[in-house]
Amino acid sequence: MITFTSHSTAETEQFAAGFAAELRPGDVVACRGGMGMGKTAFARGLARGLGLVDDVSSPTFALVHEYTNGNIPLYHFDMYRVSGFDELYSTGFFDYLDQGGVLFIEWSENIESALPPGTIALTLARIDDNTREITIEGERF
Amino acid sequence: MKILALDTSSQSASCAILEDDKLLGEFYGNVNLTHSQTIMPMVESLLTQTRVALSEIGLFAVTEGPGSFTGLRIGLSAVKGMAHALEKPCAGVSTLEALAWNLCGPDCVVAPVLDARCSQVYTALFRWKDGVLIRLAPDEAITIKELSTRLKNLGTCVLLVGDGAKMCYTILKDELPGLGLVSPAARFTRAASVALAAQRIAARGGTVAPDALAPAYLRLPQAERELLAKQKNA
Repeated sequence: MITFTSHSTAETEQFAAGFAAELRPGDVVACRGGMGMGKTAFARGLARGLGLVDDVSSPTFALVHEYTNGNIPLYHFDMYRVSGFDELYSTGFFDYLDQGGVLFIEWSENIESALPPGTIALTLARIDDNTREITIEGERF
Repeated sequence: MKILALDTSSQSASCAILEDDKLLGEFYGNVNLTHSQTIMPMVESLLTQTRVALSEIGLFAVTEGPGSFTGLRIGLSAVKGMAHALEKPCAGVSTLEALAWNLCGPDCVVAPVLDARCSQVYTALFRWKDGVLIRLAPDEAITIKELSTRLKNLGTCVLLVGDGAKMCYTILKDELPGLGLVSPAARFTRAASVALAAQRIAARGGTVAPDALAPAYLRLPQAERELLAKQKNA
C-alpha cells in the first residue's frame, strides 16, 4: 500500500505523474473519491507521467476520453451515470481492457463487480479544504 | 457469386472472399489492435491479392453479434458502407453460428463460447449431422455455471470454439470429461465461416438491404445487473 498526503491540486498532479512510472499497459486504476477530491487532477498527472501531451478533462458527458498522443495510451472513464451491466457494455469498457493502455476510472464504485482481477484501487479522501489523503492498493503496491 | 465476409466481433478480425465452394482468400489477425484501424486495409489487401474488384462482390456478409460492443459496430459499419455504395444485398450472420461453421465436417455437437466478461459467456448449441447444421439452443448470455449445467445435462461429447473456449475448457474440463477444445487454427471466428453461413442465408432468401443490418447485442444476466445497481445505491 502507498499513502501520500497532498496539500494542493498541483501536489496531487505531481504525485500522480510519479506514480505513472509504475504503471504497465493493461493496468486498471479504479478511483474512489467524491466531487472535488482531485480525481481529474490525478488523471492529468497520470497522463503527463505516461508521456501523453493530450488535454485532460473530466469525461462526465462523453463517459470516456482517450489520450493517445504518447507512449502508453490512457483511457479515462467517468462511471457516475453508469448503473447497469448493459450500460457499461455500451461504453465499450470491456473492449478498452484489451487495447494495451492504462484505464483510469472515476466513480469506479458503480462498476465494482465488473472490475477485472488485479485492479489497482486508488482512494482520494478529504482531510481539510486543501489536504487530501491518497491511498493506492494493489498486488504490486 | 462472390461473397465478401467481414468479422470484427471479438478479439480477432478477419475478411474473406468466397466464390461458390471455393475460398479465394482470407486475411486473419489476432493482435489486439483496434479493428477500426486494421479491417479496411485488410479488405483492400485481400481484394488486391485475389485480383477481385469490389464491384464483382455480389453479397456482403458480416457477423451481427453477439460480441464486443465496439467490434460489432466496426464490422457492421464497414459492410453497410460498401454495400450501400454498390447497392448490393447483405447477410447478417450470428457470431455463434459462424463459429459452428468452423467445424463443418464430421457429425459433432458444438458449443461456441465468447467471453462476455465477469464469468459470463455468449453461447448457443449446434449439432452437425450429415453436413447439416442443426441449432439446439438460441444465442444467449449466461454464466459459466449455467453453461456447465447445460453441457452436463446434454450427456454427449461437446466441442468448444470461440474466444472463450480455452477459458471455459480450463474451468470445466474436470467436471465435464466429454469436453473438447478445438485447435487454435479453428477456434476463433473466421470470415471464411461467416461467408459459408451467409451462402446458406442467401440460398433461403434471407439477405437484406444494408440499412436493415443491425447489431444483435444480447442482454447480460439479470443477477449481475442488479448487483451493480445495488452497489450504486449503497
